[in-house]
Amino acid sequence: MSELITIEVNGKAYDVRPGQMLIEATDNLGIEVPRFCYHKHLSIAANCRMCLVEVEKMGKPLPACATPVAAGMKVWTQSEKAVDAQQAMMEFLLINHPLDCPICDQGGECELQDQAMTYGKVQSRYQEVKRVVLDPDIGPLIETEMTRCIQCTRCVRFGTEIAGIRELGGIGRGDRMAITTYVEQALQSELSGNIIDVCPVGALTAKPSRYTARAWEMIAHATVAAHDSVGSNIEVHTFDNKIVRVVPRENDTINQCWISDRDRFSYEGLNSSERVLKPLIKRDGEWQTVSWQEALAHTHELLTQLKPEQSTGLASANATLEELYLFQKVLQGLGVSQIEHRLRQVDAQATQVLPAVTWLGLPIEQISEQKLIILIGSDVRHEQPMLNHRIHLAQRLGAQVFALNMRQVAFNYPVEQLAVAPAQLSSLLQSVISGLSEQGLALPNDGSTLELIQRHDTQNWVQGLLAALAQAQGKVLVLLGNSAQEHPYYADLATLAQLLAQQLSGHLGFIPPQANSVGADWVTTLAPQDEVGKAVELNSELDTVVLLNVEPEYDTANPYLTLSRLRQAKQVIAITSFMSPALRDYATVILPCTPWAETSGTYVNAEGTWQFARAVTEPKGEARPAWKILRVIGHQLSVPECEYVNIEQISFELRRLVDKHPLTPPTIQPVTTLRISNESGLERIGEVQAYRVDNVVRRASALQALVPETKAHIHPNTATHLALMPDTLVTVRQGEASLSLPVWWDESLPENTVWIAGGTEASAQLGEAWGRIELRAGGKT
Amino acid sequence: MTSPVLKRKSDLLTEHERHEIEHWLKRYPPEQKRSAVLAALRAVMHTDGYLSTAKMDAVADYLSLPPIAVYEVANFYSMYELDPQAAAKYSISICTNVSCMLCGSDQIVEHIEAKLGVKIGERTPDRKFFLKNEEECLAACASAPMMQVNHVYYTNLTPEKVDEILDGLE
Amino acid sequence: MGINIRHYLKSFTLAELLQGLKVTGKYLFERKITVQYPEQKTPLSPRFRGLHALRRYPNGEERCIACKLCEAVCPALAIKIELDERPDGTRRTTRYDIDLFKCIYCGFCEEACPVDAIVETPIFEYHFEQRGENIMTKAKLLAIGDEHEAMIARVKAEDAPYR
Repeated sequence: MSELITIEVNGKAYDVRPGQMLIEATDNLGIEVPRFCYHKHLSIAANCRMCLVEVEKMGKPLPACATPVAAGMKVWTQSEKAVDAQQAMMEFLLINHPLDCPICDQGGECELQDQAMTYGKVQSRYQEVKRVVLDPDIGPLIETEMTRCIQCTRCVRFGTEIAGIRELGGIGRGDRMAITTYVEQALQSELSGNIIDVCPVGALTAKPSRYTARAWEMIAHATVAAHDSVGSNIEVHTFDNKIVRVVPRENDTINQCWISDRDRFSYEGLNSSERVLKPLIKRDGEWQTVSWQEALAHTHELLTQLKPEQSTGLASANATLEELYLFQKVLQGLGVSQIEHRLRQVDAQATQVLPAVTWLGLPIEQISEQKLIILIGSDVRHEQPMLNHRIHLAQRLGAQVFALNMRQVAFNYPVEQLAVAPAQLSSLLQSVISGLSEQGLALPNDGSTLELIQRHDTQNWVQGLLAALAQAQGKVLVLLGNSAQEHPYYADLATLAQLLAQQLSGHLGFIPPQANSVGADWVTTLAPQDEVGKAVELNSELDTVVLLNVEPEYDTANPYLTLSRLRQAKQVIAITSFMSPALRDYATVILPCTPWAETSGTYVNAEGTWQFARAVTEPKGEARPAWKILRVIGHQLSVPECEYVNIEQISFELRRLVDKHPLTPPTIQPVTTLRISNESGLERIGEVQAYRVDNVVRRASALQALVPETKAHIHPNTATHLALMPDTLVTVRQGEASLSLPVWWDESLPENTVWIAGGTEASAQLGEAWGRIELRAGGKT
Repeated sequence: MTSPVLKRKSDLLTEHERHEIEHWLKRYPPEQKRSAVLAALRAVMHTDGYLSTAKMDAVADYLSLPPIAVYEVANFYSMYELDPQAAAKYSISICTNVSCMLCGSDQIVEHIEAKLGVKIGERTPDRKFFLKNEEECLAACASAPMMQVNHVYYTNLTPEKVDEILDGLE
Repeated sequence: MGINIRHYLKSFTLAELLQGLKVTGKYLFERKITVQYPEQKTPLSPRFRGLHALRRYPNGEERCIACKLCEAVCPALAIKIELDERPDGTRRTTRYDIDLFKCIYCGFCEEACPVDAIVETPIFEYHFEQRGENIMTKAKLLAIGDEHEAMIARVKAEDAPYR
């Protein structure tokens, strides 16, 4: 840490850190300097000139954002010279800015409006014609009104530096410069919504929120996003008890000042017409709307007949911690031990070797301090956009990123990536580990018993890794992604990942898939020890299934099998927020619970931070928070200790219980033998589409407009071999399940694989997300 | 069976264009490929007479740049034409800036418009001439009025001289 | 002593009564100021603030752009606006209600309006017969504006030099 230096601002002396820009210093000191183009997380452009201040011995005023502090510097932010410069700049900016504040969605919270009031002149001297810029259509999320743009280029810099894909640019020059995509297209970035926040004027606004409410009418509620395991801090703005928009809430340790598009626009799903608003009971094959009393009495009756050994509970890991806890408590009170939230995880062996809680292993903030990051089976950019942002940040700070994947994932920063078909991923890892040990990186003792095969040529990749390791100063992180966790050989991959981490003397971490995956794992550890680790088996003899906000057709690893088992089950009690055709088909009772934003509860994010999110709107219809429903069910069934008065009571109890099981760095009991797949034929890659991850997102209309049509993606070589041309129909078959899909050629895939996104309407009719698949030319529309 | 390869955007570039880009790329450090973007666009202008979006994408792909970076450059310089109309054998720019205007450039413009039967910003139907809307001073004030045909300057113009020049062009 | 005599004189000559009658007499013959409303009416200032109206542009397009400034400024919370995007992309109200029971006729809404859409007209003669009629809906307000546009335009023009 270098010594502080003294500068003088407006006649007062301050000690500041050297090397920073003047505007950073004044911001830290609480001295206001107007600005448009400067943003603390973006590079310095100094093109708006709004932050001009007077500096001693300088002829002209200087931009505070591009002037480094120097010892003995004397600065005046409000001197005649500074004010004159600021007023002149404001007059220039307003020359071409339209006077349409009354219809502008930014009106009332606009930086230009505010600063024009504070730093502008009372009257304009400009009488000529103002310029008009045509608005490009940049997709369903962002509304453009480019005449209002003041060319601060924050959005352009955001695209280059934070989003990692440059899609907006300044076209033309001089007075004709305009910010646009040039070729009209929807923005591809998963963080694109943040340009709405960085835009200081109303040029970029949220399309779904267009013309719904004015800034001063909304009520801001601080809460937490619940669609990925980061738990981004957000502010939900409501108007008339309805969510109007979502904006980030700054938290430097979690999401800085950004959020993903998924967290920003998912709220639309809450107002879906598919919301269940009243309890429903199926009687003689007919659905009847009933009162809560009747529904609960019926549920009670069904549950008292339950056969514990043949019953199971499936919960979404997006539910709150309190709900998951009560769900487990009630079901275990009934003797049901098969309770599962890892619905996409298929490897039965994994439950035995994995730690009880699979978490990130280090604070999210520390990801950006790593120097070498190795991703295994992860499209982290679409799975967990904000974690990806941290990795991107690390990369910008000099880290090198390597990946072992099942397809060439399109990262938004340079990544050394190897991709093989899913069945080969284990052997690829083995090849890498033996390659490294040949280069002198010793295997740990317990790993030496494993027989490692060396099937792949990984020499260049390993060389690159070693070179990066030499500069990593021990800051190495191995991350197991969501695809690896869904892999049929997850246990093997985890063992090998740990081996690799030990070899590189780095951390091992898991990327938890859902908002409360870590929390749900934690709750599982609270169950009696002999119950832990029992894998849920969906056999044909199912008696009772209780679902907590799960849509099996989208949320499970094998929708076809799960659905047919549920149809065979004697009774299915669904506590859910949304109706679906499949649900009508298999459920016996539907109890409407409130989704995220209408429920208070705790979410535990990837790094293990507890974040309590309070309900921001009233429950819709007769829907009730799931914890209340479960409490009543538990009470009716005389499950001990189910009499909670409020949610805080449950949270408090949980906190006390969980404190006995603090998070430890995740360690794996290594498997003793590695499985080798020698099957041949086509394999499916079934990663979940980023905007199909949970029941709320799946109903958010603007995001759904961005979900591409489901196609069977195959490598051109495989396609040629099978004589399949792009956009021709093909019959996809997985066991009994079959479906017609258009073909798409995709060079990012390994040969002999078929990529069909999971969580989609199409995949709901298919089997295993990661398994064998057959393709046959021809199909019916 | 040979492996089929998906069409890349850069496949659109002609042999000459590739050659030209490679020639320029040698002058810059390998991580500074974007330095060659001006030369690459110039090469495309030379073959096509204008820059189509597809060709700009091809250049972007070839130089591993985001397409918008290429659009920005192409839009910035008025020497790059983005309108297919501009693709003609001869592109005529008549300077109408202050010096030329005072020396009678307006008559020259009128004369050429009448002679070719097209207005400023239009192309003759035989694709021989394109009358460019030149907004900048072409820096030959000492011998105003002047015009530029492709890259050749013609100075001290009179209507007769213009006839002579244009008739002399193949 | 002298005071007492003057007092008696005043009392017996009825001087004070006559003095009072003098005023009465004076006004008895002066020009009357009582107005025989409703047959007769007093003149109104052009800035009189009476019943509200929503105005239109000469081409028939409604002026209101649903900026909600009147709603924000209204001290009596008498205005309720809902808005949406009209198919042509413009920002318009879908609901514009003024509760005349709440309204205090302060004229702030008119002051706040950036497009001179909401105005208070000099109309002060109105009544309600049914519960609910006190809510002036968008349609009613526009109808008032349409009916009295000439008068509204005139009073606004008369008042303009003093604003």
